[in-house]
Amino acid sequence: MNEAYNNIITRRSIRNFTGEIVSKEIIDLILEAGLAAPSAVNKQPWEILVVEDREILDTIANLEGFYTKMTKKASAAIVVCGNTEKTLPGLAQIYWVQDTSAMTENILLASHALGIGAVWTGVYPSVDRVKKVSELLDLPSHIIPLNIIPIGVISNENTFAKEIDKSCIHYGKWTK
Amino acid sequence: MNETLNTIFNRRSFRKYSDRKIDKKTIDLLIKAGLSAPSNVNKMTWEFIIIDDKKILEKIATVTLYGKMTKDAPIAIVVCGNLDRALPGEGADFWVQDCSAATENILLAAHSLGLGAVWTGVYPTVDRIRNVSKAIGNVPLNIIPLALIPIGYPIDEEILSEKQLPTDRVHYNGF
Ligand SMILES: Cc1cc2nc3c(=O)[nH]c(=O)nc-3n(C[C@H](O)[C@H](O)[C@H](O)COP(=O)(O)O)c2cc1C
Ligand SMILES: Cc1cc2nc3c(=O)[nH]c(=O)nc-3n(C[C@H](O)[C@H](O)[C@H](O)COP(=O)(O)O)c2cc1C
Repeated sequence: MNEAYNNIITRRSIRNFTGEIVSKEIIDLILEAGLAAPSAVNKQPWEILVVEDREILDTIANLEGFYTKMTKKASAAIVVCGNTEKTLPGLAQIYWVQDTSAMTENILLASHALGIGAVWTGVYPSVDRVKKVSELLDLPSHIIPLNIIPIGVISNENTFAKEIDKSCIHYGKWTK
Repeated sequence: MNETLNTIFNRRSFRKYSDRKIDKKTIDLLIKAGLSAPSNVNKMTWEFIIIDDKKILEKIATVTLYGKMTKDAPIAIVVCGNLDRALPGEGADFWVQDCSAATENILLAAHSLGLGAVWTGVYPTVDRIRNVSKAIGNVPLNIIPLALIPIGYPIDEEILSEKQLPTDRVHYNGF
């Protein structure tokens, strides 16, 4: 199957980072992929914040009510937001959620294609999470954070590795 | 540039399709791409309805103003949220994001396979949800169509205008 297709079916959430820096060049490519997403009536009602400040990243990692601990060792966090001043009017306004979700998937797929680890961590529609992120990043009220995407160099160290006890392997007859 | 990034950069909405059929293997690939999307708490809140019955495709086209190209498509995939799989409480609405990611995967997979497709919005417009569900016939109330994706082989005549990607939407370390 073609490379682009394989990239879609092999993408996984990566939560273990080495702490090394991802270059600006790579981040720009990843963001450009985000901007290529489809959007209802081509409104492109999105904004992207790139957080690289270590202190803010550490604060994100420790936010209560979030599942963002992996941000501690991330190189950056991409915060995908909707801009309600650029959306469709009325009931159709809420299409921004679908537009920015498509954008997020593009960002995840581009990261995977470039060998960079990334994970979608949900913010909207949790009122509490939206409030905390908005306060942390000084977002005006028409900018609504959909998610935080910590990205980083992938660590091979598998934190889920179990201790393996090989004493259950027996050769020949049972020996006590 | 790597092929994957090119696919992402060059994906566009296609609204005109040739008569060429799409084989079952290709349809399976599209669905597998949808199923590979991330989902909140791995709930996989999605359901995929594949329509290849010309009568239903035409019916959908007549009840959806913005989906009228569906009548010329060999197939349409309707990406739906299954509310029974959604989280309780405030997190219930995450299904919209899961299904949107799945929809984008299907669009990108289609593009990588030489197909043309377009996302036509159904949810949250109440009329569109009702009309699409009715046209399909037996969609239970807990299954909410989010997007209708007509898919077919593109025809050469469809010329797409150059799309501008504004970069003034990107902010480093603060708004
Ligand atoms: C949530 C959503 C809803 C959309 N609804 C429709 C629709 O009802 N009819 C249609 O022709 N296109 C629809 N589109 C496609 C957009 O018009 C298209 O993505 C946009 O114009 C950008 O062009 P591109 O996809 O070629 O990059 C929709 C796209 C999204 C993301
Ligand atoms: C809307 C949404 C919200 C998510 N929120 C989180 C999160 O807060 N923390 C986290 O570690 N993973 C989060 N994820 C990632 C999912 O847990 C992951 O996609 C799912 O377990 C499937 O695994 P995969 O992405 O490796 O295919 C989220 C995914 C989505 C789509």
